[in-house]
Amino acid sequence: FIGTSLPSHWNLQSGLRSGSGKTTTSPAENYYLARRRTLQVVVSSLLTECGFESAEKAAVESLTEMIQSYISEVGRSAKSYCEHTARSTPTLSDVVVTLIEMGFNVDTLPTYAKRSQRMVITAPPVTNSPVVPKALAAGQKRVHPPYIPSHLPDFPDPHTYIKTPTFREPVSDYQVLREKAASQRRDVERALTRFMAKTGETQSLFKDDITAFPLIAARPSSIPYLNALLPSELELQTLEETDSSEQDDQTDNENAPTGADKENSVLPPGGVVPAVKPSEETVIDNPYLRPVKKPKVRRKK
Amino acid sequence: MNRKKDKGFESPRPYKLTHQVVCINNINFQRKSVIGYVELTIFPTVVNLNRIKLSSKQCRIYRVRVNDLEAPFIYNDPTLEVCHHESKQRNLNYFSSAYTAAVGAVDPDAGNGELCIKVPSELWKQGDEMKVLKVYIEFSLDQPKGGLHFVVPDIEGNMAERGAHVFSFGYQNSTRFWFPCVDSYSELCTWKLEFTVDASMVAVSCGDLVETVYTHDMRKKTFHYVLPIPTAAPNISLAVGPFEILVDPYMHEVTHFCLPQLLPLLKHTMSYLHEIFEFYEEILTCRYPYSCFKTVFVDEAYVQVSSYASMSIFSTNLLHSAMIIDQTPVTRRCLAQALSQQFFGCFISRMSWSDEWVLKGISGYIYGLYLKKTFGVNEYRHWIKEELDKIVEYELKTGGVLLHPAFCGGKEKDNPTPHLHFSIKHPHTLSWEYYKMFQCKAHLVMRLIENRISMEFMLQVFNKLLSLASTASSQKYQSHMWSQMLLSTSGFLKSISNVSGKDIGPLIKQWVDQSGVVKFFGSFAFNRKRNVLELEIRQDYTSSGTQKYVGPIKVTVQELDGSFNHTLQIEENSLKHDIPCHSKSRRNKKKKIPLMNGEEVDMDLSAMERQGNRSRRKTSTGVFELGADSPLLWIRIDPDMSILRKVEFEQADFMWQYQLRYERDVVAQEEAISALEKFPTPASRLALTDILEQEQCFYKVRMQACFCLAKIANSMMSTWTGPPAMKSLFTRMFCCKSCPNIVKTNNFINFQSYFLQKTMPVAMALLRDMQNLCPKEVLNFILDLIKYNDNRKNKFSDNYYRAELIDALTNSLTPAINISNEVRTVDNLNSDVRLILEEITRFLNMEKLLPSYRNTITVSCLRAIRMLQKNGHIPSDPSLFKSYAQYGHFVDVRVAALEAVVDYTRVDRSSEELQWLLDMVQNDPSHYVRHKILSMLGKNPPFTKASESSLCNEALVDQLWKLMNSGTSHDWRLRCDAVNFYYTLFGLTRPSCLPLPELGLVLNLKEKKAVLNPTIKPEAGGIGGVGALDLCANGGIHTPISGFPSSLEEEHLPMEPPPNGVAPAPHGLKRKAETPLGSPPEPVQFTAQEEEDIDMDTVHDSQAFIYHHLNMLERPSTPGKEPPLVEQTLLSMPATPLPAFIKEPSASKHGEHHHRHHHHDHKKKKKKHKHKHKHKHKHESKDKDKDKDRERERDRDRDAHAFTSSPASGRSLRSPSLSD
Repeated sequence: FIGTSLPSHWNLQSGLRSGSGKTTTSPAENYYLARRRTLQVVVSSLLTECGFESAEKAAVESLTEMIQSYISEVGRSAKSYCEHTARSTPTLSDVVVTLIEMGFNVDTLPTYAKRSQRMVITAPPVTNSPVVPKALAAGQKRVHPPYIPSHLPDFPDPHTYIKTPTFREPVSDYQVLREKAASQRRDVERALTRFMAKTGETQSLFKDDITAFPLIAARPSSIPYLNALLPSELELQTLEETDSSEQDDQTDNENAPTGADKENSVLPPGGVVPAVKPSEETVIDNPYLRPVKKPKVRRKK
Repeated sequence: MNRKKDKGFESPRPYKLTHQVVCINNINFQRKSVIGYVELTIFPTVVNLNRIKLSSKQCRIYRVRVNDLEAPFIYNDPTLEVCHHESKQRNLNYFSSAYTAAVGAVDPDAGNGELCIKVPSELWKQGDEMKVLKVYIEFSLDQPKGGLHFVVPDIEGNMAERGAHVFSFGYQNSTRFWFPCVDSYSELCTWKLEFTVDASMVAVSCGDLVETVYTHDMRKKTFHYVLPIPTAAPNISLAVGPFEILVDPYMHEVTHFCLPQLLPLLKHTMSYLHEIFEFYEEILTCRYPYSCFKTVFVDEAYVQVSSYASMSIFSTNLLHSAMIIDQTPVTRRCLAQALSQQFFGCFISRMSWSDEWVLKGISGYIYGLYLKKTFGVNEYRHWIKEELDKIVEYELKTGGVLLHPAFCGGKEKDNPTPHLHFSIKHPHTLSWEYYKMFQCKAHLVMRLIENRISMEFMLQVFNKLLSLASTASSQKYQSHMWSQMLLSTSGFLKSISNVSGKDIGPLIKQWVDQSGVVKFFGSFAFNRKRNVLELEIRQDYTSSGTQKYVGPIKVTVQELDGSFNHTLQIEENSLKHDIPCHSKSRRNKKKKIPLMNGEEVDMDLSAMERQGNRSRRKTSTGVFELGADSPLLWIRIDPDMSILRKVEFEQADFMWQYQLRYERDVVAQEEAISALEKFPTPASRLALTDILEQEQCFYKVRMQACFCLAKIANSMMSTWTGPPAMKSLFTRMFCCKSCPNIVKTNNFINFQSYFLQKTMPVAMALLRDMQNLCPKEVLNFILDLIKYNDNRKNKFSDNYYRAELIDALTNSLTPAINISNEVRTVDNLNSDVRLILEEITRFLNMEKLLPSYRNTITVSCLRAIRMLQKNGHIPSDPSLFKSYAQYGHFVDVRVAALEAVVDYTRVDRSSEELQWLLDMVQNDPSHYVRHKILSMLGKNPPFTKASESSLCNEALVDQLWKLMNSGTSHDWRLRCDAVNFYYTLFGLTRPSCLPLPELGLVLNLKEKKAVLNPTIKPEAGGIGGVGALDLCANGGIHTPISGFPSSLEEEHLPMEPPPNGVAPAPHGLKRKAETPLGSPPEPVQFTAQEEEDIDMDTVHDSQAFIYHHLNMLERPSTPGKEPPLVEQTLLSMPATPLPAFIKEPSASKHGEHHHRHHHHDHKKKKKKHKHKHKHKHKHESKDKDKDKDRERERDRDRDAHAFTSSPASGRSLRSPSLSD
């Protein structure tokens, strides 16, 4: 029984694995069912051996389940021991240790195997181990580079990491595209300004029809220079975008995206100084940076 | 001559200032007030120093102490009100001379001042010459109108959060506006400056910040500055505000300050300042003279750049981010200018006003060198040409700019600039435009000197001046070395002759001592037989603003065999010059033609041959023979611009075309372009188009070519073939290859093509078709540019580009076809205009949501709307512009809106708008805007002296008169602007809209009754004119007695003050008339009139003293009843009689008359004087009738004088003989 059960156990385990991995693929299911059937035969024969003449199907099922669990556990545990000792293939000793660990008296096993009344069951029909379905054949499976020991797991299937961009046929007509962008922007702007004009105060260029060409009323601000000098958010955004795209091309050694530093880096003397700058910054002695002194007590007047 | 040889500096004061402490204890932003004190350490240089005159304006002075002894003082400022009382004079000649006299009377350069302190007798009796005096003055300023400018935004939060700040400003020496000092560039001393400000603020001032100390309550801190380098008071400045501080990463002794939130911009803007420093230090081989440098960026700045000792104040609008292209060179230029003035202007100061040109010249010259180095030789030469054109145009228009006026010995009669309506004797009487041109000419003359003695020597001279000055600056006062830091014309010239060994006397005489430019006309003929070029150069030296030139002139002739320079001598009578040609006429077609720069080029000479076949050409100047035999390609007169000149040269069109294509000098190219405007031929078109396409060509030349091409295209309208000019070119350069009607997405990385891309649509929009309309094709093209404009991928902002596209739309506008003057409505809007208006509306509205840098787009939109109005497409209405002109919009927007209102005022002759503008001139918080309004009104006046207008009425005359007379006393520049505007409107003589004064006088004579001309307001008439009469009478007295012009008297006055306090001279009388009236009285003003009430020998309780005098000021003064002469106890104000009157030849004739008058007055004064204070307001009405006759009589008298003294007197119909 052991002789037959051990390989079957391995097969079973891998079957289970694949079964659990892919629940509905029919070849794997068949394979699984075939194993189960063999186990049922084993259970039945053991029952016969013990003197049962018949058994309820449910009872057989339960027993089958139990034996399957037991064998699975032996397999899983043995594999763990094996891997624990940095091997990939379990040996007999692994199984023995497992059995011991599970409270099984190993010494009784040879006698039990050599018992007289044991029944010999035929080996289960050789079913082709389920073909691992050819996962998307995307690209070549990569082999280990030389510095990775061969015992380490293979690379996963290429499809798991190779990106396969999908795209629609782009609107390649540049003219149409520009046209679209321009009119889109114009529409947005017009709608926005119309809305602002409708909801706020307006000025008009015509006396007869004040709704034609409405102008948003000019409103003085308290600090007019701020709006006029600081770049608008939109412009800042554009600047960042163009900046980042440029820095992709270059190898950026500095983490200073401000325009000032960039411009300096173009200039020959400017390129040198900023490198020194951080270290010097700590020793800058500028009177405006010095701390304010506490008043002296003796000040008169 | 005042150009004394090797004389050191002679101070006009009887003492020498060595050190001054300025301490400002409190700055109140809420009330806009300042409290502080100054302490001046002075060394008397005469034995009995009993009077100290200091400069001080608008300060309220609480107490003065000299060496801890209370000292009496008098505060009198004749410039507050130039002509006294409601004078009906209204004559600009009269005003100008009175103003000059008033400024001269307090001119610190002449040792005068508004504040006269009597040294307590205990001190001067000691008579020890080298005894140090310490003059301590407590003062305050309340809502200063000049000198200090408070910017306090009206929002929530404390002052620091609101970004409130204050800074000093002024035109020339204006420091007296904010603290008492010796406000002269030639009085140097060391400084200790202390400013106590709110703990959240920073006070930036001149010199080294020694320490910052908290006050005891820890809410304020005191900034202690020390300036050990002797510095003149006008170079002291202050800026206080919640500034963000940036220490320059390259130079740690340089600190930059900007208003909150602008730090990123400041960082970028300042990132290249160190290069400018390096440049100047290198060429001058001299370190920056001060131990630190500070730049402060403030809002509502008076001028863009102002330099003071070790600091500069800039307009905050110069700051920009890295995305902005157009502002970058402008800002860099401003920084370079500021820095050059640090060396020459701040560190080295001028000796007198007439030496100003040297400092402006040197700083402008080294700034030019910086331009050459940074922006290239092309840019530099372009700039020189631009400046030269500007000065030539200005001088020809106004009649000359004199760099070094020689005010010698009081011969005021020889007014060096009779063509001007203002005096150039003082910086404060100059028109602003003149001053700008003055600076421009100064640096051009420096360049001429460089041409003469070489740049190397030039820099050696500067280095010498600087090293002398820096040696002197480290000396103690006692070593008398400080005057080495003052630069004079003679000192400069001596230095030049020492260093270079060359005599530049003739050059100086021509350009510095003399005004005017040279105007050349050139033409030529080629004599085939002699192989000689016959060049004729004529000059116009008779029209105004010109002068005769005698001396060498360089002529460059480009021949087939190369370029040859010839130096011709311009002499009295020789007009023709024969220049031998080098080339043999037979051309070798294969041969390359060498250019001036050594380059050899292939030229297509077919144009020349064609010309040859046309054989002889007749021109207005005679026959010149050109053609196949002539080896001449082009000729240039004075190519190096080594004469301040205008050249009008005649040569054939193909020669201009060759010059444009092949001459490498940008100046030559630009000259060729302007000449080609007169030759609208296909060949010109081709030459211009080729230049446009040539990328090696300087971009400004290409830009200019765009406009020329547009003009040529319009002239060639009927024969023009192909698409509109520049369209295909633009398409090729900037549009997509696949779809030529769509512009590429913006990429402005190449600045040259960026500028071209900006300019071409603007020029194209100037094209016109047969109906004189902008071609539909062009308009659509521009609209498409706007539509497809896409800036998303651009690292630069496109705001200037979009603004120029709007300008292009503006340029495309043509006058609407106006059917029967109907009102413009939406319905009858032209469809093209509708499209344009649509764009403008959208742009203007978008700007509210996403404002562009400096609101360039709003500015362009406002201009476009005004153009639409002007062309009759939309109803003309100023209300939109008025709303944009309000305080609170960005200054560029305001100015653009105001320009539109000014234009509206002229076109629609609206008195309401004119009034609105003038109100703004008086009340706007921003000094720059006030100045701008007046200068725009001056450039685009609602009417002129030559034209009739309903706007021209008496009320306007009165208003403007008041404005320049007393309304602008706090701002020299504004006052001069007002004078300019008055001149533009009314000219020099009495405005024609005023009633003829003689009419009223004749009536008086006959009837001897109070029948007034009904147009003269009775109350005004009651007081009017007496002040002027006093002046007159005074002058009249003076002339026969002394026979000296007044300035002489002024000169010897300082030595004259009598120890016993008795007035020796009658000229003090005039002073008394100068009680300001009608203008809000300044807080403390002591005029001579009140002197009888001041016991000079006792110490006053300051407060009581002030209030007493304030009260006195409030009563109306009655000039006819002045206290008698005897009261001139403290006669320190020199007389300022009007030169025009004094030198009036007819004055002697009237002398007796005046005498009589004077005595008449005199008696009355004595009589009235007694009850003067009691009557106060009342007596006027009582005595009115009695006075009227007298007044009228005087009126007549005065007018008679005015007219005889005016230049127009000879022609005047209102001859004074009527009154006699």
